[in-house]
Amino acid sequence: MNIWQVLSSTWNMEPWVLITALALLVGYGITTGFRFTKLSALYILGVLIFVLALVSPLDYLGRTYLFSAHMIQHILLLLIVPLLLLLGIPKALAERALKIEPLGSAMKVLGNPIIAWFLGVGAMWVWHLPSLHNTVVANDNLYIVQQISFVLIGIIFWWPVFSPVESRRLSPLVSTLYLSSACLGCTILGMLITFAGAGLYTAYLNPADSIGILPLLRGELCLTPGVDQQIGGLTMWVPGCLIYLVASMVTIARWYGAPEESELIPNSGAGRLATASHKNK
Amino acid sequence: MSSRIPIVPENIKPLPLLKENEGMLSWVASVDHKQIGIMYLLASMVFFVIGGIEALVIRIQLAQPEFGFISPEVYNQMFTMHGTTMIFFVVMPFLIGVGVYLVPLMIGARDMAFPRLNALSFWLVIFGGILLYYSFFTQSGASEVGWFAYAPLSEKPFSLNKGPTYWVLGLLAVGISSVASGLNNIVTILTMRIKGMTIRRLPLFVWMILVTSFLLVFVIPVIASAFSMMLLDRLLGATFFTPAHGGSAILWQHFFWGFGHPEVYILILPAFGIISEVIPVFSRKPIFGYEFVAGSTVAIGLLSVGVWAHHMFAVGLGNVANLYFSLASMLIAIPTGVKVLNWVATMWGGKIYFATPMLFAVAFIIEFVMGGLTGVAIASAPIDWVVTDSYFIVAHFHYVLYGGSLFAIFAGVYYWFPKFTGRMMSETLGKWHFWLTIVGFNMTFFIQHFLGVMGMPRRTYTYQDFPYWGSMNLVSTIGALILALSILVFIWNIFVSLRSGKEAGNNPWHAWTLEWATSSPPAVHNFDLVPPVRGRRPLWDLEHPDTPDEPNAKVV
Repeated sequence: MNIWQVLSSTWNMEPWVLITALALLVGYGITTGFRFTKLSALYILGVLIFVLALVSPLDYLGRTYLFSAHMIQHILLLLIVPLLLLLGIPKALAERALKIEPLGSAMKVLGNPIIAWFLGVGAMWVWHLPSLHNTVVANDNLYIVQQISFVLIGIIFWWPVFSPVESRRLSPLVSTLYLSSACLGCTILGMLITFAGAGLYTAYLNPADSIGILPLLRGELCLTPGVDQQIGGLTMWVPGCLIYLVASMVTIARWYGAPEESELIPNSGAGRLATASHKNK
Repeated sequence: MSSRIPIVPENIKPLPLLKENEGMLSWVASVDHKQIGIMYLLASMVFFVIGGIEALVIRIQLAQPEFGFISPEVYNQMFTMHGTTMIFFVVMPFLIGVGVYLVPLMIGARDMAFPRLNALSFWLVIFGGILLYYSFFTQSGASEVGWFAYAPLSEKPFSLNKGPTYWVLGLLAVGISSVASGLNNIVTILTMRIKGMTIRRLPLFVWMILVTSFLLVFVIPVIASAFSMMLLDRLLGATFFTPAHGGSAILWQHFFWGFGHPEVYILILPAFGIISEVIPVFSRKPIFGYEFVAGSTVAIGLLSVGVWAHHMFAVGLGNVANLYFSLASMLIAIPTGVKVLNWVATMWGGKIYFATPMLFAVAFIIEFVMGGLTGVAIASAPIDWVVTDSYFIVAHFHYVLYGGSLFAIFAGVYYWFPKFTGRMMSETLGKWHFWLTIVGFNMTFFIQHFLGVMGMPRRTYTYQDFPYWGSMNLVSTIGALILALSILVFIWNIFVSLRSGKEAGNNPWHAWTLEWATSSPPAVHNFDLVPPVRGRRPLWDLEHPDTPDEPNAKVV
């Protein structure tokens, strides 16, 4: 098999993916009354990437052969898909949804930036514990739970920064801090995986080569377990971090674009007019 | 024992003279941000002279092949101490000091948020400097292991002298000081702004100090922990960085550059801030694209913490790692390029007034871009493999740190000296200083690019008489001597201007930020009355009430 045959023959039309995607689209259509705006395009793109990440060769390779393919899928599902879904939800819809209990109170708790931060960064750290990851790729049900949890946690993570309801968002500078500290969290994990040495995830060391592509991957493409793991770690580290970086740039751009009133005014006494005084203290 | 305990005198004058009654005490015990700022500047000046002398010794030794001016051991001590001094005791204290002086004034505050912590930060730098330089008086002299102190060379079996231990202790003190001043700056800028000085209206210098402070608080702990581990290794027989006993020498490199690369941006971001203040004032235009200059600073800050491994291309991290780090490193050129474009666009169509601060600011752009371009080149791993540890790298980072940070520092000194002292610096001497610097600097370092490509290794005390190496090194050494002369002119200028400089008045440059609204030097309490802040250029709005920067701010 050459690389093109591999890429064309490893599509895997998982029913649960297609059903979820259909439900997401129909649900969106019904709740918005099938009135599509520019935002809807983002939402639909999000669903599309969701499907692609889970039915394309990325899924098959990431589950059996290549940690790096898993990592690309992971970044798509945790950072890209939820962001696009969230950006695509109209404000009015989100406001209506937040009035429905228990969703409203749940988002109040989960949307708390500290909880959302720990969930977002924790999803990366916990799901990548080597023993857990090795178990997950071998277990269909756990695997589905993991993928869905990525998207849900991703939505919670982005909520304090890109919530459709402005009042739920953090102020721009705090958002930047929120994102850069998350970037640090993902950097440290990426660094650990990159420099840990081959064999951190034993599932990829000797995969059951049912379609006979291992020689191609290991030989022709030079994706030895060590290189594969490095690519995975670095993908989390560098492109992963760039997503947070771009997001902070977007918040800063939005901030400078917004009218001045929305900004917090310092409330300390020290900022008042200093009056003439020769006293030192 | 004398029964008289000196009472710290209440400050009455902004700049108490030393010969006055308890004048010395009023400086040493001061918690006033302006006095501490000036002490920072003076200290960095002293260290600059010391580090400069070390550089001259290095250059004299290299003036001709197989020269025996100093021994290899002394040479190693010289380049170690030169690098350490210039980075930790010259550029950092200068930029932090100028920040300490100006940040409260620029945001209309009375002082820093934590004045005593501020004093502690300053005195820790002095303490660290004394510890570092004390090592010269120990049995086998100062540290010889380079400013990067790679393990295992810096570890016990290979460096038995006390130099590296003093080096670590001194730098730990400076590290604590930097974190403290970073926290102090963050709290000051976030909570002490005068009404109307929203974060979006911060002077760019203050904004860049804010971003730098976050970097300080995040990355200095990395190196401080590594220093502590090295101390444990050296004094208590731990083996964090000794591979022979199960440690990892590469780990030190990761820690060091994990701090070391953001450090580069700690050294250059406040310099960007100075340039972003000087260029608009001397072009008589507001900064072009304030939002982009501010936003790109955040991007640089974030990118800078993720690219350190480009200092380690030669270590053998693997092609994949090299590739990713090459790409990430090159990305930094984008936000930096955004800044350069904004500065040029600010000058474009402006009424440019080439006073000395502006000369240095313009030269900064040119020299820094040259350093930046070689930087993009060596971000590519294969090019780095060819030139790493050669004089090409020496040339590259001197263009960034001298042509960048120090040129900005000179611009800042000429620009704010009237505010600091109430007197103008001499323009004639300033122009002499400028042109001597330009000639000396480029003569010293430009030729080193070629030496590097020809294969001359750095950190080596001499070289063989290969064709042209002797003459090219001689050119470099003569350049260094000219550079030394330029520094003498600079110091002479400071002395002359302090004694008999022209009276400056409150706002000699017709600048727009709040520090120019008070007297020069500012009164002890900074402001009698802070002008209202309704835009990014409060003093412009004050002078031109009919055409304020923000039209909706016209209401009185």
